[in-house]
Amino acid sequence: MWRVTVKGLLARKLRLALTAVSIVLGVTFITGTLVITDTLNSTLSSLFGSVYQRVDFQVQAPGVLKIPESVLGRVRAVPGVAYAAGGVSGYARFVAHDGNPISTGIEPAEGLAWVPAPALSAHQLVAGGAPTNPHDVVMDQATAKRYHFAVGDPVRVLLPGGEETFRISGIAGFVGAGDVPGATFASFSLPTAQKLFGAVGQLYTIDVLTRPGVNKQLVRQDIARLLPTGIQVVSGRTVAEQQASSAAQSVAPLTTVLLVFGLIALVVGAFTIFNTFSIIVGQRTRELALLRVVGAGRGQLLGSVLLEALLVATVASLVGLGLGVLAALGLEALLNALGVPLPSGPLVFEPATAAAGLGVGVIATLVAAVGPAWRAVRIPAVAALSAQTEEPESGSKRRILPGGVLAVLGLGTLGLGLGHASLATVGVGALGISVGGAMLAPGVARPFSSAIGTPLSRLLGISGHLGQVNAMRSPRRTAHSASALFVGLALVSAVSVIGASLAQAATSSVDNAIRADLIVSSSSGTLGPGVAREVSALPHVSSSCLAYGADFEVRGSTVALKGICTSDLAANVILRIVAGAAVPALSRGELLVDATTARTQHLRVGSLVSVSFPEAEHATIRVGGIFQPNALIGGYLVGDRFFQTHFPGQLPGAVLVSADRGYAGIVDEEVNRAVASNPNLTVQTRGQFEAAQTAAVDQALGLVYVLLALAVIIAFIGVANTLLLSVFERVRELGLLRAVGMQRRQVRVMVRAEAVIVALFGAIAGVVVGTGLGAAFTVALSRQQAATAVVVPYESLVVFLVIAILLGLAAASWPARRAARLDVLGAIGVE
Amino acid sequence: MADGIVDLSTTGSSGPLGPPASGGAAAHSIDLVKTYGKGAAEVAALAGVTVSFEAARFTAVMGPSGSGKSTLMHCMAGLDAPNSGRTYVGEQDLAKLDDRGLTQLRRDRIGFVFQAFNLVPTLTAAENITLPMDLARRRVDRDWFEYLVGELGIADWLSQRPSELSGGQQQRTACARALLSRPGLVFADEPTGNLDSNASAETLAFLRLSVSELGQTVVMVTHDSLAATFADRVVFMADGRLVAELASPTAGSVLAQMRELRH
Ligand SMILES: Nc1ncnc2c1ncn2[C@@H]1O[C@H](COP(=O)(O)OP(=O)(O)O)[C@@H](O)[C@H]1O
Ligand SMILES: [Mg+2]
Repeated sequence: MWRVTVKGLLARKLRLALTAVSIVLGVTFITGTLVITDTLNSTLSSLFGSVYQRVDFQVQAPGVLKIPESVLGRVRAVPGVAYAAGGVSGYARFVAHDGNPISTGIEPAEGLAWVPAPALSAHQLVAGGAPTNPHDVVMDQATAKRYHFAVGDPVRVLLPGGEETFRISGIAGFVGAGDVPGATFASFSLPTAQKLFGAVGQLYTIDVLTRPGVNKQLVRQDIARLLPTGIQVVSGRTVAEQQASSAAQSVAPLTTVLLVFGLIALVVGAFTIFNTFSIIVGQRTRELALLRVVGAGRGQLLGSVLLEALLVATVASLVGLGLGVLAALGLEALLNALGVPLPSGPLVFEPATAAAGLGVGVIATLVAAVGPAWRAVRIPAVAALSAQTEEPESGSKRRILPGGVLAVLGLGTLGLGLGHASLATVGVGALGISVGGAMLAPGVARPFSSAIGTPLSRLLGISGHLGQVNAMRSPRRTAHSASALFVGLALVSAVSVIGASLAQAATSSVDNAIRADLIVSSSSGTLGPGVAREVSALPHVSSSCLAYGADFEVRGSTVALKGICTSDLAANVILRIVAGAAVPALSRGELLVDATTARTQHLRVGSLVSVSFPEAEHATIRVGGIFQPNALIGGYLVGDRFFQTHFPGQLPGAVLVSADRGYAGIVDEEVNRAVASNPNLTVQTRGQFEAAQTAAVDQALGLVYVLLALAVIIAFIGVANTLLLSVFERVRELGLLRAVGMQRRQVRVMVRAEAVIVALFGAIAGVVVGTGLGAAFTVALSRQQAATAVVVPYESLVVFLVIAILLGLAAASWPARRAARLDVLGAIGVE
Repeated sequence: MADGIVDLSTTGSSGPLGPPASGGAAAHSIDLVKTYGKGAAEVAALAGVTVSFEAARFTAVMGPSGSGKSTLMHCMAGLDAPNSGRTYVGEQDLAKLDDRGLTQLRRDRIGFVFQAFNLVPTLTAAENITLPMDLARRRVDRDWFEYLVGELGIADWLSQRPSELSGGQQQRTACARALLSRPGLVFADEPTGNLDSNASAETLAFLRLSVSELGQTVVMVTHDSLAATFADRVVFMADGRLVAELASPTAGSVLAQMRELRH
């Protein structure tokens, strides 16, 4: 049987290649994703591993707590401690010679305190010396090399408090790692760092190195004993893992999305594989029946078809693995182009990636081939004698009942999920509807093709009519070709409905966020002390309002808190209060939350919330009002006075500026002139602010669309594949048509018409189902989180249909050309 | 019905697509050579065939299996290109036509009836009959259509698909298709090869009628000496050559000639 299988495979090289294409694409996608993920993780963990490999312990303050500086001296005094160094970090960004801030992959740009003990430092000077006075900074080697800085050069640095110029006292690399692209740091003396990052008298961490030969556990216990409550000590390895995992987490949503798309691509590919094997088995009915006649057992036939699938899958998956590595490079470039910068490192190809790519490719293929193989086995021996070459259509009716039941159950589950606001239940329901719908597809393929085809045959004459009847002749095949498209377009449509709904929700929180004409903010997160005063003193400024931001803890989890002016609030900020009060509550020192937070945290006006602030103070605070989501503010808001008492010395994050009536343009110019010298500051008009907020949603959607487009393209390769196989199957018929006078051009029109019908079938069904599912998800999402109205982006949906038609035509171009070039005598040859 | 006959004779003889006047030949070939394979495996399917098929006559082509009958028909109908020699349909030299021109010629000036697989399985009988006209985007002459399907006795089957028709019904449908565009020249390659004697007789009778009463030109390849007796003239082939010819054949004369060829 092995010989028969291999010979059979070689005899059908083209079909083999076509089947392989879909497997290759799915595996390529998955491999690429895994390689990118591993590369990212390895870059990050090698970075943090090298940074913390020399540290024995670290004293940490969890959450928003800070360590009093006095603890450092006490830790140093613990017997067995060789060195202990305090750490403070914050936003710091170099400005290049051309005046542009130097931006790198890892955000936020890291400013830190220089560790004077080389044994403990993660950084190693390669030139110059350590920072000793308030004007010194140590620059990382990669930045110095890339942007041409040398020891002794002055350099401008953007900081939370504004911009300052420093002198480069030294240039340093990572110990053991040299320069790591994407990991910039600016290192200051400890007192300077404390002053720059608002932590005078405080430390964020204390790194500890023990003397050789001491019992580290005892030292650790001694240190732990002298720490204030809430402050803890952990091992160096733990720190490295914490850092790497938090960095990995920041890219985790991206890699999850990529992996999900890899799986979607494979599912879509599996439809194509299934279809291809169905057709191949159908075409080989006579051959397989003949094998039965000469005595091949059912098991042998099953083995033969599955063996063929296995061989194809293995070869294709190996090719996919190779291409996946190339794709990883391309994807990295694509993500960078889309504005998602990633730290770069050498590509990592783990054995697990190879196993996953091969395993998934082979298993998906085998699963897809089992159905057709089983049908091959049931071929009666007499089939060898009949002229029937097309696949039997018996199965399609049997699937209607279970398909319908599944779809109805799916709908029920979906409804249940909506009722209980459970996204997971909605997801299960959506899956049921999709699979049930795919099973029902053969039942509706014929009437559907007939309906779409009628205007086509009216338009294109007999060629269009032949395309129509060809699409109708094998509803199962049409349905399978269309299934991949159906899945792809359902996803695209669902995402675009969800995206449009979220975008509109975002827009509404943006549109109704601020009343001020201008908003001045800083890339460092805070404005310098003079900026607000200078801006509000400009002529024709009617009022201004300061907004502050910091983290605090609510019921044990760290969240963002905003503080806002209470005096000119209404002139600058739009707070749409739904319960309680705004200014009076803020002035009383009460907390305001937005409606989303109120719903998820079960808060109402009068609720008491336990919170804690950086100085380890715990407090209970009353909810004084609830407002509609506001893009400027976020979930939690307090008054500026209250904010300053809990975050003493904290600089404002933004200043909102309102101009006298008619002077908005002039004030805009003046404000821009006033802050022009500080590249850290951005001045946005209300319109620009709103656009910038929605741009983030658009960018995320753009990425999703690019990825889904790949899935849809795979689906179209499936359509091309099926068409081509159909063309080969109809050689005699095509020959007959050509003999009685069909021009090559008309043959092409016929094949294209069929493709367009199949494409529209999948696309229309996909868009309809996808829109419904997208709406369902939006409703579920809005029950669970933010209130979001369902928005159906009709223009986009129409565009999807048009693209489906165009891609259908593109998919048909090769099969159509093959069909037009077939030998006329094919139909009337002696056999 | 009389209209139909008059129509055919007028368009058939003087229309732009009708058979030519010169020499009374609807099609002729000069020194046709067609070989398959290369080197030692080379087979000369046609080894220099010069033949002429007169207009408004029924010619049968006979010969043993593999003698080149089908190849001759394919070359003369523009379905295949000879290695050398010339083929004409009317005055038209087929070598001067590209694929487009050949396709148009087959569509408008030649009708085909094959041994099997004559009809497109997805189209109804009626759609199959009008297929060449629809491909040409030409209007179907309804009277002529009614006359043909009536004469062939297939009026009741027009909305059926080929798989629902018997072999004889399929061949008669193919005959209607071959004649609907008034092609001037009909090639039939063993049209009765798959039929029982009753269905054969009906098909042959119709081809005869189309020549005698409608002025059609028919060239029919056949194995069957009885079928050949419906023709006005029989040409015999062997090993890719024309070897004999019989006018006004009878069953006896055809059989005798065939027997002679086998020796
Ligand atoms: N496509 C082809 N390839 C190779 N040989 C062919 C082909 N078509 C016909 N032949 C050979 O040419 C010869 C004539 O064939 P054909 O015209 O079909 O004979 P007939 O119709 O008289 O039975 C035969 O020997 C046949 O084997
Ligand atoms: Mg023959």
